[in-house]
Amino acid sequence: MAKMLFLPLLILLLFLFECESFSAENPTDRRLLVLVDDLAIRSSHSLYFKFLESRGYVLEFRLADDPKLALQRYGHYLYDGLVIFSPSVQRFGGSLDQAAVLDFVDAGHDLILAADSYASDLIRGIASECGVDFDEDPDAVVIDHVGYAVSEIDGEHTLIAADDFIQSDVILGEKKIEAPVLFRGIGHSVNPASTLVLKVLSASPSAYSASPKTKLSTPSITGSTIALVSVVQARNNARMLISGSLDLFSNRHEKSGNEQFVTEISKWVFHERGHLKAVNVTHHRVAELAEPAMYRINDDLEYSIEIYEWSGSSWKPYVADDVQVQFYMMSPYVLKSLSTDLKGLYFTSFKVPDVYGVFQFKVEYQRLGYTSLSLSKQIPVRPFRHNEYERFIPAAFPYYGASFSTMAGFFIFTIVYLYNK
Amino acid sequence: MAKSTSSDVLTLIRSLRSAYAATPTNLKVVYMGIVGSFPFNSFLSGVLSCVGTAVLAVCLRIQVNKENKEFKDLPPERAFADFVLCNLVLHLVIMNFLG
Repeated sequence: MAKMLFLPLLILLLFLFECESFSAENPTDRRLLVLVDDLAIRSSHSLYFKFLESRGYVLEFRLADDPKLALQRYGHYLYDGLVIFSPSVQRFGGSLDQAAVLDFVDAGHDLILAADSYASDLIRGIASECGVDFDEDPDAVVIDHVGYAVSEIDGEHTLIAADDFIQSDVILGEKKIEAPVLFRGIGHSVNPASTLVLKVLSASPSAYSASPKTKLSTPSITGSTIALVSVVQARNNARMLISGSLDLFSNRHEKSGNEQFVTEISKWVFHERGHLKAVNVTHHRVAELAEPAMYRINDDLEYSIEIYEWSGSSWKPYVADDVQVQFYMMSPYVLKSLSTDLKGLYFTSFKVPDVYGVFQFKVEYQRLGYTSLSLSKQIPVRPFRHNEYERFIPAAFPYYGASFSTMAGFFIFTIVYLYNK
Repeated sequence: MAKSTSSDVLTLIRSLRSAYAATPTNLKVVYMGIVGSFPFNSFLSGVLSCVGTAVLAVCLRIQVNKENKEFKDLPPERAFADFVLCNLVLHLVIMNFLG
């Protein structure tokens, strides 16, 4: 009897669990897998993990070389996000490897990757697949003899104070990060041609990346081209955070901006901010309500769309003045900014161009830190029917007159010719 | 004398007719220069009706002229019937093309 009761309860629990996971309607991650080198990180970084748990995430800690590691079972992913806090791991346990991690991201899931001064080739490989290249010299760390942390006056100046943040409220939160971030780790460079990678935290112009032990030759990356923390938003809106320091997330640096920085950026990575959705795309002729299957050239039409932003718990209206719609056939014939009612509705009206063919309504909205919106809706435009033209054109009246007067002239001439014989 | 007078009248009317048919052509070209070529079919039919009528009238005049030896075998009645038929065909086309 007890067994029979237990089974439906289990199914119900599983069902509830499924409902809470990542979906289009509820884009915040829920289940996170945290891979660590040793479980001591759990206590040395406890503030960060406590923050994640307080935001409602379910954390599962595993050793990175655990032989039972698996991201998916029966084709379903078991986790919504992956946190790799194991910079020295040479090879993951179980079925997990570099390709599995990248497949996980390709499936739209999020990733936090922290390297450190002893980052393994595996970690470097994952990072370089994401468009981030760590300094190739295995001994190199970021050194700054000007902007180092005050607590470390003597020594090698490898604990640097960085405050060159990306200017984006959506990535780093509306509140300004008060104190500089203390960073001890390796630097990386991002490909300037890549539009998907963003440097969130850059080093100061006086920094360089080199080994503190050996005599300094020419450093491979210097100054503000050194990225300390970068984010990637893939084309499928999966987000990745790549940090050159695991120490950044630890409890150690109390009097610094570290905690605010990592919590704000984690909110962004796990889709608590900057996730847009567009719904209710409608268009119709002016003074009509139904959506036509086809427009005629020179019709006046109205177009509207609703855009909402995910706030972590509910969809809030998204307010901006730079959303544009294109009326597009090979190239945009009409490009109009949409006006908004500040409640998420964006609308405009315009005249269909004097060209017929198969057009598209297109909204391509890509803004720093926001997920990209890319909508298109196909609509044919036909020319006038033969009975929709004007019967008589005023500009042609002289031509009509000329033709008819020659006919009358012909008639008169015929009569005169016949009766003059 | 009377015969010659009526012949003169005929010649005069014919010349007037040719002149009338040719004049609006120039006027229309000027008008199109001002208004633009929008109803281009109407413009073409207007011009062609004038040009066509002028050409046919000239042809009739050549054929009925007694001094013209080339057409001495052609009776003037036949020439006039040709003229009327051609005009009918021309104006049928013009009406269709006028828009």
